[in-house]
Amino acid sequence: MELDLGFFVQQFLTGLATASTLFLLAVGLSLIFGALGIVNFAHGSFYMLGAYLLYWVARGDPEGLWWGMAVVVAIGLVLGALVERIFLRPVYPRPEHHQILLTYALLLVIEDGVKILFGSAYKSLGPPSALAMPVWILGAPFPAYYLVQILLAAAVAVLLWLFLKRTRVGLWIRAVTQDREMLEALGVPVPRLLTGVFALGIALAVLGGAATLPMQTVSPGVAVEAVISAFIVVVVGGLGSIWGSLLGAFLIGEIQAFGVMIWPEFSIAFVYLLMAVVLLVRPWGLLGRPPVVRT
Amino acid sequence: MRVWLPALLILLLLPLFLPRYPVEVLTQGFILALFASAFNLVFFQLGLLSFGHAAFFGTGAYTTALLVTKAGWPYLLTLPAAVLVAALFALVIGFFSVRTSRIYFTMLTLAFAQLLWAIVHKWYAFTGGDNGIPGIPVGSFATSAAGLYYLALALLAAGLYFLYRLDRSPLGYALRAVRDNEARAEAIGLSPFALRLLGFVISGALAGVAGFLQVAWQRSAFPDFLYWTKSAEAIIAAILGGSEHLLGPALGALAFVELGAFVQARTEYWPLVLGLVLLFLVLFFPRGLAGLLGRRDARG
Repeated sequence: MELDLGFFVQQFLTGLATASTLFLLAVGLSLIFGALGIVNFAHGSFYMLGAYLLYWVARGDPEGLWWGMAVVVAIGLVLGALVERIFLRPVYPRPEHHQILLTYALLLVIEDGVKILFGSAYKSLGPPSALAMPVWILGAPFPAYYLVQILLAAAVAVLLWLFLKRTRVGLWIRAVTQDREMLEALGVPVPRLLTGVFALGIALAVLGGAATLPMQTVSPGVAVEAVISAFIVVVVGGLGSIWGSLLGAFLIGEIQAFGVMIWPEFSIAFVYLLMAVVLLVRPWGLLGRPPVVRT
Repeated sequence: MRVWLPALLILLLLPLFLPRYPVEVLTQGFILALFASAFNLVFFQLGLLSFGHAAFFGTGAYTTALLVTKAGWPYLLTLPAAVLVAALFALVIGFFSVRTSRIYFTMLTLAFAQLLWAIVHKWYAFTGGDNGIPGIPVGSFATSAAGLYYLALALLAAGLYFLYRLDRSPLGYALRAVRDNEARAEAIGLSPFALRLLGFVISGALAGVAGFLQVAWQRSAFPDFLYWTKSAEAIIAAILGGSEHLLGPALGALAFVELGAFVQARTEYWPLVLGLVLLFLVLFFPRGLAGLLGRRDARG
């Protein structure tokens, strides 16, 4: 079988674009689980909300994409902080299933809230005119906007890594995943820190959703699919690990891109299979850390 | 027992007085009640949160649907097969899942159920893909609203009685012992892995019975039966009703379905109402509906 290199590169880049979206979606979920210990079932809902907010802010004008995304991320930060303060803070001491039920309730409310505000119809926003034409890579056309998505995800990954490794707040966030009580004893304002982490995670999900709008339509049903995709990425890569989310997103994106070529009907089944295998072999994920056994 | 006999009598007489629609809604309530009670066996007795019970509900339903449409079996005779197939899937999924704990168990059961959903959703030649299997002839008894009502009520009552006996049996105590302190349970000679797997398989088999009933209720089978939101329904019903109480999940399921029918007749925004109710209950009534009735006595 003759493999066309241009086509191969095209599939690879398409997979990379999918991976970029998945990374932005999942990294916030991972951060939130690491710091707050909460599995956020509403994470995909905020992702969906991001796309709707961009549609609303840009008023259907593709040129409004850049400043629109900035506004939407700011809204995401505020919204995340509010949700954490009002709904999550009371349930930190509760059993896990209460937290899951609470975030599932948020999923339901956001899904119908979006229907009330924007209607059930699909919404879309084309790419800005500068990016409307495809770029040619090795003789194959490739949507220019995909490159923007890939660069955006790469920039977020590097900035997030610098933030966590090189700043004091980043140090606290890493510390709070290890030992919340010790950090409190050291005088760090932990409740405010957790609000900040949740707001950051939600802002990233909102950014991820908004960034897909120039290429994909959005509908209220996106949320339940997105949150499962985010779980897969985070579980494969390792809960709480940023590089894990990046690796997980890369693997899932490429499996989908090439799985479609090999066995189109069941490419999504491959992804769930990978998730199950990783959970069996390395439950803490490919780049996650095994849980510390406390005695 | 003084409360339950009159309650059962009322439930037996209801179809004689009610029109068709409320009888059908109650039947759906019984089906979800059985599903939620099955889920709660793993959730309460084993202390594990499964997010994949839709897999057993769905495989039970598809076993019945396929046997009726492809092999021409009479609907009622497919029940043992639905139970067996659901139990087999529970055996395989449980074999891998019950070794893990907490969030990993939840995610692994979710992954397996979603894997089965993806296959059912796309395997057009066998399962009908995303069209599902519509128009299943389930026979005149299960087609009549009252017939299916009594069938569902009988299976729910049998299931609850079974769970009640299990709860009081040595096996029930052993399951809770493993849940509460695995190391000590092992030290007195119990096998945590075997016990968890057994509980998981029984739970899966009961969920398969609920799937069998759902086929008659909708006269169809759909891939949504295996989707993760179906598993979430059982979780909501169990926690809404109060998972510590034997009848809590069933009460929660009936409340869930009745409230759903009531709200859906008035507005299309049922998920919004459900979400707000859940937010309210989680924040202010953490012990569920059964928590209002009284505390379950602390046993074993």
